[in-house]
Amino acid sequence: MPTDTRRISGPEISHSPYDYCLTPPIDLIGADKKRLDGRLPAQLRPLFLRAGVISQARGSGYIEVDQTKVICAVYGPREVLRREDFSLKGQLTCDFKFTTFSCRLRRQHQQDNQEKDLSVQLLEALEPAVCLQKYPKSQINIYVTVLQNDGSALSAAIICASLALASAGIEMYDLVLASSVAMRDALTIVDPTEREEEAVLNKTHKAELNAGSMTVAFLPSINQVSAISSDGEILCETLTKSMRLCVENCLKLYPVLQQALVKHRLDKQADTS
Amino acid sequence: MATSRICVPGQRLNRADDKHIGGKGTYSRNGFIYSSVLGYWEERPTNDNTEILISVHTGETQTVIPSIDDIVTARVTNVNPRFCKCEILSVGTTPLCDVYRGLVRKEDVRATEKDRVEMYRCFRPGDIIIARVLSLGDAQSYILGTAENELGVAIGMSEAGVSMVPVSWCKMQCPKTLNEEFRKVAKVRPEYIQTVHQG
Amino acid sequence: MTDVDLSEAEKTFILHSMQDNFREDGRGCEDFRHMEVETGLISNTNGSARVRLASTDILVGVKVQLVPVDPNKPNVGRIEFFLDCSANATPAFEGRGGEGLASEITAMLTRAYSCPSAIDYPSLCVLPGQQCWLLYIDVLLLECGGNLFDAVSIAVKSALFNLRIPNVTMTKDEGGIELDVSDDPFDFKRLDVAGAPIIVTVNKIGHFHVVDASEKEEVCSLARLMLGITEKGTVTAMKKEGSGSLDTDSISEMIESAKKVGVELNKCLLNILMTEEGQEVKPVGFLR
Repeated sequence: MPTDTRRISGPEISHSPYDYCLTPPIDLIGADKKRLDGRLPAQLRPLFLRAGVISQARGSGYIEVDQTKVICAVYGPREVLRREDFSLKGQLTCDFKFTTFSCRLRRQHQQDNQEKDLSVQLLEALEPAVCLQKYPKSQINIYVTVLQNDGSALSAAIICASLALASAGIEMYDLVLASSVAMRDALTIVDPTEREEEAVLNKTHKAELNAGSMTVAFLPSINQVSAISSDGEILCETLTKSMRLCVENCLKLYPVLQQALVKHRLDKQADTS
Repeated sequence: MATSRICVPGQRLNRADDKHIGGKGTYSRNGFIYSSVLGYWEERPTNDNTEILISVHTGETQTVIPSIDDIVTARVTNVNPRFCKCEILSVGTTPLCDVYRGLVRKEDVRATEKDRVEMYRCFRPGDIIIARVLSLGDAQSYILGTAENELGVAIGMSEAGVSMVPVSWCKMQCPKTLNEEFRKVAKVRPEYIQTVHQG
Repeated sequence: MTDVDLSEAEKTFILHSMQDNFREDGRGCEDFRHMEVETGLISNTNGSARVRLASTDILVGVKVQLVPVDPNKPNVGRIEFFLDCSANATPAFEGRGGEGLASEITAMLTRAYSCPSAIDYPSLCVLPGQQCWLLYIDVLLLECGGNLFDAVSIAVKSALFNLRIPNVTMTKDEGGIELDVSDDPFDFKRLDVAGAPIIVTVNKIGHFHVVDASEKEEVCSLARLMLGITEKGTVTAMKKEGSGSLDTDSISEMIESAKKVGVELNKCLLNILMTEEGQEVKPVGFLR
């Protein structure tokens, strides 16, 4: 294609205007002991769950935690086609992707390092719950897409994927629930939004020892933690305390997930009859 | 069916004592029976009425994969002197959502005179066969066998492209040209006939 | 990791001996294996270190480069990790075989070093809003003998300790500021690594929590917890690995145990690096 020589071509590297925005440090809670969105520190956001949203997939799920929206599809069990990936034990693969428009800054189409890391964490959370030995020589693929990210995307993705797996009829030892917290100094807030997550990680002064976030995935009926991860610098005692808080919150969400599955089953029954 | 009879994975169903045993869709752990799938919970006495079998039925969404000793229906894709390749279409009466690759080796075609088997006189590409899963095989495919009277070609296509009629255990006849072709013919049992039509 | 095939009997042997508080090589649950650390052995780098932990062998080279600052964070420098799983370690790493492991280790390191107190990030900024140092931390895996994450993080910290960043002089002239990087090998500044974390992996084997698991022990463990521990005992990153799950009580015990080991390890490492710095030892290198 001939190039237009009269036109001044743009710079090779460009930045989003948001890069130059000054983000003033925000207070996690105001004077009235409430957070930016009006919640109390220990208050979860309302949750919406639905199974069976993608008709081609074996199982699928959709979750909405206020502004965080995640959709997930499960395919398989199917044959492993590539010889080098073969193993006699069943395999689970996870693919975690933010859509390009899901965050404040545009994301690339290709999976970046953070998304790869989140895929691995998602896999860690789900693997202990799936009866993989029932699916020898096969693989189960889980695709998670974050449509809109307003914090706690990983925990939303874990719940959504566990909903999709169960609706796909995959044999599982237990459902998986997940919850996140963010902490700064002595303050711990549950289910942080994106702004709150950013605020604790971009702390300005070095003197603070306690600032970070944490996500825990929990198997409620086995009463075991299937995945735990934290970011930022946190004291050990806070870590243990936050973990227990996360587990408590997971148990609060358990009935919601159960209800969503029962509803899905009943809807299906109504469709066939 | 009542809502309470729907159970989710991980739900505790009953104690695993000598009265109760877990069936399909359940697993036991620490002396309890748990559900492992989303579905309807069913308790039924076993045949001798001594125990209660607890199982969870998923309804129409069944996830099956071939396992050893299953009877499968497969389509032959490739025949060579040592083995024939096929794609497994269904396990028992349940169609698979995704085909799995299978392999019938020359020595597994029939039970007698194994050394005199000629693959081209047993299978042709396009035939629908009924076979038993002998082993999970390797990375490539499941190993299938047809060394039983009831196993072998169920639907064979003649050169004229017509579905043939079996005339003996090793021959099929084309109704159009009346040509006879060699096949390892299955003596299809009535319960399988339905399976084949579905597949 | 690499393929170690253990039979059920061998696994049971390790599990049972663990119940009697014996590890296969006679260590206690919170003991590390013999470790050798050496710094400054590659002349073409700005900082380098080699760590040999039993049979795990890690080589780290750090190179620095002047780059424009990240518009999001105009006052700090940056670091970037890259890990190469050499096929020398195991043929399984050939081609793209080691990619998964490499990205897992780099992700963990990036997370552990992402908190502002890990290293003195503002000191890596040369000209606020314009130029900063980018540290390329390249890790080479020469041999795998278990506990890779810990060994890699120790090697990275040692290499950062050894890092010599050339001094930059700025002169203001018309049309902007000119940067002049000193080429005198003795005109440099060091990086404060006191806050840098070390990754401690705690493996759950049976009912016991062990650190620095050998390859065989790693095969026996279904779940492990990795924590980036600083000298002060804070946790900069944590993750769980493995196909098993853990209950909350054992997690808090594992965190405690990692903290104890991590604080001690940080102290020992810094001591050794200081003493090595003090005495003029000829680098031993790779042959011994």
